[in-house]
Amino acid sequence: MAAKTRKIASIRVEAPTSDMVAELIADYAHTLDDGRIDLWPNFFTETALYHVTTRENHDQQLPIGIIRCAGRGMMADRVKAFHTANIFEPHSYNHLVGPVRIGASRSPGAVAARCNFQIVRTMEDGRMDLFATGRHFDEIVLEDGVARFSERVVVLDSRNVDILMVVPL
Amino acid sequence: MPSIAPVDLSPQQFQWPPEGVTRAPYRLFTDHEIYQLEQQRIFRGRSWSFLGLEVEIPNPGDCKTTSVGETPVIVTRDMERSIHAMVNRCAHKGALVCLKRRDNVANLACVYHAWNYELDGRLKSVAFRNGVRGQGGMPTDFDISRHRLQPLKVQIFCGMIFGTFAEDMEDVETYLGPDMSGFIKRNLGRPLRILGTHSQTIHNNWKLYAENLRDSYHATLLHTFYTTFKVNRLDMDGGILLSKHKWHHVSFARRAELTEASEYKDANVHSASYDSALEGPGLLQAWEEFDDGITHSIQTVFPNMCVQFTLNSLAIRFFAPRSVDKTELFWIYLGYISDTEEQSQMRIMQSNLTGAAGLVSLEDGCINEFVQRGTRADPQSSSFMEMGGRKVESEKNSRATETAVRGFWQGYRDIMGY
Repeated sequence: MAAKTRKIASIRVEAPTSDMVAELIADYAHTLDDGRIDLWPNFFTETALYHVTTRENHDQQLPIGIIRCAGRGMMADRVKAFHTANIFEPHSYNHLVGPVRIGASRSPGAVAARCNFQIVRTMEDGRMDLFATGRHFDEIVLEDGVARFSERVVVLDSRNVDILMVVPL
Repeated sequence: MPSIAPVDLSPQQFQWPPEGVTRAPYRLFTDHEIYQLEQQRIFRGRSWSFLGLEVEIPNPGDCKTTSVGETPVIVTRDMERSIHAMVNRCAHKGALVCLKRRDNVANLACVYHAWNYELDGRLKSVAFRNGVRGQGGMPTDFDISRHRLQPLKVQIFCGMIFGTFAEDMEDVETYLGPDMSGFIKRNLGRPLRILGTHSQTIHNNWKLYAENLRDSYHATLLHTFYTTFKVNRLDMDGGILLSKHKWHHVSFARRAELTEASEYKDANVHSASYDSALEGPGLLQAWEEFDDGITHSIQTVFPNMCVQFTLNSLAIRFFAPRSVDKTELFWIYLGYISDTEEQSQMRIMQSNLTGAAGLVSLEDGCINEFVQRGTRADPQSSSFMEMGGRKVESEKNSRATETAVRGFWQGYRDIMGY
């Protein structure tokens, strides 16, 4: 019993700090806004869940949203498809991320975080649209001293996606 | 010097090119008057529109809103569990009666002047009908039974709710014909469970999406993720079935008899260049659900819906025209009540293949817009659709054909009187 307590205690010590969480969330947005999609899977642990869904699905606890990647391999496949298979009008994102609220996680060694976001999308022809607004619900862990998402659930306020979604949010 | 004949812009006088359904004049995608006429002749005419699923309104008092063409519609389940559909427009001033996508109510009340309707759309009460303190009120000959929400005729088929404005419309199964209704029974003829929904705004005329759904020629050329992972290729055994009136179709493929066709290697098509090793193979974990060997199918029902079965990913798509060049496309992902947890998980992972961010088909979100933008300046020109010949017939051995697109136009011409 004593050993188990110590073990949990030692894992808790390894949880990311608030600064690390804030930096991870900011770096993630900046990386996508810079168009460096190749680096996107690196923000996640090997077995992480990345899920984009809508408020409607989230509230009803329906499992299918818009994107679901179980593990970094599926994220890498999305990156490859982006470069090689998918066709779309080129565009870029600009994330505006709100203050991060950090809380306790169910998993030992992880912290939970949530923040709001808005994304303005600029198309090839110069058109700018408010593409997405919503909430990020994150679980963040430390891996070799680096903070990574073990889960990032993106809940869009709207049920509706304009045109298509090929760059992750 | 070639002369161009003046274009008659009246939709009544609209002339189809002499080549018939192998051509579709671009004007059909941009003309506001034709668009209005479609609302009347197709969406409020002799067709069955998909309104939703029975499982969306399982309980007495449940209601949902949708639209038939541009017409807003309410679908309800009354206290005796019967399903009704009616135009979402108060019989008084025309305001929307229901605003929520889904709700549970005892009756339908218009918020503007508190006109109150039964769940079947009959008017129940009118606020201040007898005035206030003896003043005002409706005329003495006001007859509550002569006002109601405009009803649609409703029929349930395989858990789907269909509605029509044509009171004397044949039943849904006759409308579909035996081949089409048989295939829907195969896919939806068991209790269904909704796994998720979303919608997409596509910036094109609704008919470009209706064409796109029937266009088996483009499938493996534009959508190269599929081709690369051998989920669906034209060299698979497959074909197209058209309904009697040609406007509904089923396109299907079988995976078992996959062979590499040399055309893919020689034609240097985009699809051949992709690295085929998935790093997350869980995406395509699948099981064989049917013993007919069909692993992939897409089935349209004129005018506004389609059923997709991609490996184990079952979904209904339906669309609502929002304006002449804007369409909202809805996705309803489904499983069966009888699915095991493992089966559900496979359907969930395979949902990545389609939808607004579908690895296989997200291109459809922009490709029809590319046509809209490419054609709008030139309404008198036409598209050219002779792949697979000029006939409008089922094609059981090949999907390298535009026969189902021609079929759409044949049905469209018939119902529009063009």
